[in-house]
Amino acid sequence: MRDDTSVPPVKTAANPILPVRAIAVNTFREVARDKVVYTFFLFAVIISFFGLALGSLSVGQDVRIILDLGMCGISTIGGIIAVFAGANLVYKELEKKTCYLIFTKPVAAWQFILGKYIGLSICLLFLILGMGAFLALTVYLADPAHLLVMTERLKWIGLSLLLTYLELLLIIAAAEFFSTFSSPIMSVVFTVSFWLIGHSAASLQELSRIFTNPAMKQLSAVLYWTLPDLQSLTRARAVIMYGKLPTSELTLYLSAYLIAYVIILLVLAALVSEKRELP
Amino acid sequence: MSEATAVESSKAVIEARDLTKERESFLRKRLRVLDGLSLKVERGMTYGLVGPNGAGKTTTIKLLLGLLRADQGSIAVLGAPPGDKAALCKIGFLPESPYFYSHLTGREFLTFSGQLYGLSGKLLNERIEQLLATVSLQKKADERTGRYSKGMLQRLGLAQALINDPELLFLDEPMSGLDPIGRMDMRRIIEDLKSKGKTVFFNSHLLPDVAALCERVGLLSGGKLLAEAAIEEISPQRDARALEEFFLKHIKAPTEEVAP
Repeated sequence: MRDDTSVPPVKTAANPILPVRAIAVNTFREVARDKVVYTFFLFAVIISFFGLALGSLSVGQDVRIILDLGMCGISTIGGIIAVFAGANLVYKELEKKTCYLIFTKPVAAWQFILGKYIGLSICLLFLILGMGAFLALTVYLADPAHLLVMTERLKWIGLSLLLTYLELLLIIAAAEFFSTFSSPIMSVVFTVSFWLIGHSAASLQELSRIFTNPAMKQLSAVLYWTLPDLQSLTRARAVIMYGKLPTSELTLYLSAYLIAYVIILLVLAALVSEKRELP
Repeated sequence: MSEATAVESSKAVIEARDLTKERESFLRKRLRVLDGLSLKVERGMTYGLVGPNGAGKTTTIKLLLGLLRADQGSIAVLGAPPGDKAALCKIGFLPESPYFYSHLTGREFLTFSGQLYGLSGKLLNERIEQLLATVSLQKKADERTGRYSKGMLQRLGLAQALINDPELLFLDEPMSGLDPIGRMDMRRIIEDLKSKGKTVFFNSHLLPDVAALCERVGLLSGGKLLAEAAIEEISPQRDARALEEFFLKHIKAPTEEVAP
């Protein structure tokens, strides 16, 4: 070891984005270097080939089958990674005590939460784009159609990917929020419940109408208004399913709706982290 | 030393009064980890907090850094409440048995640490090179920390604690896991920091290191500061055995009083 420890004087962070970026890059590296990601890539490859095999068995519907199976694979894989990686996002830092190294530096809770969120979101974006590109290639190889037809198909894939990604952004935020105060297993349970309830929001609304007990009526109404209504996503998907594109108003509304939920969840996660002691 | 620095150097860097901290143990039983602890550390001083396992040494550091909140009492670190962001810019911390992100290499981890302070570019890279040389990790800098030995992790931990050129350093058991050469190196680095006027606050079980490095020693047991003295008062020759006697005298004293 050298005796000299002299370093030039520090001009400390005036830019609050630098720590967020550092945490995001670190999270991105952590997930990207995790072998789980590559296993899922393999899974996507297999699913697409499965689509090819099934497609060749059907008459004239091969592209349809490849597209449907491929998109199903992408949203399932994306969903699994979002839930599991998201549920570990904050918890791992607490368990491994790396949070000591972060919170003894001038880093605010919101910078930590936002950095972790952006890191995982970008990682998932790359993953989804990679799988989407693979799907497009498979479709092209199965049916090297005219440029016009191909453009339509690419538009379809692009929009479906966008909707899937928007939904995953919400799921990551939910998982991160739950992981600030519960163990990974409980975070997974909470996040999946949150997701499923979101997809059957209309039933909650229906319940609040059916209940005669005022307390139960109130409770289901509160739940309906607090939890996100993800059924509009399904509706948009259904439109795409029939080869049509959703209107730009619907896409814009969906994006704004989901992003608002993401912001609320991240603010809550930051508040929990701010209050939390690190024993 | 200029007049301004002389005035500044007389100020206390750490001032804690009547700190009390309880934690919940098994079956929700309340355990008092710290009980009315008061501490004062002057600028430029090397302060050693010694005590048996479970005495509350790590809890004290965590309270001073704002990782935990005291149930009662007041704390000022560099004139600010614990966890104050401006004060944290001037503080370095080496946790006990540090663990770093195993997916990062040593160099990547130091870059990450520097960026959390808002450092970047050439300045940060130069600083990293310098610190890697200081802690003798240049050859292993591009290996993932998952493959590091305990001693190497401790060295990397020290490097990240120094990345912002802190005024005040908190070292939690800095010698643990180090071989004799590593311990000697760590001592040399702390000596060097002392000579640069940095304030160092450290916890240790290893009395020879405390005797060799500290100007003042606090003895913590059962969450209470049993005794505090300048090392000169205990042993002008910085004799570890004298410190050991001081330690045993105060640790044993309460038990002897209770014994019939």
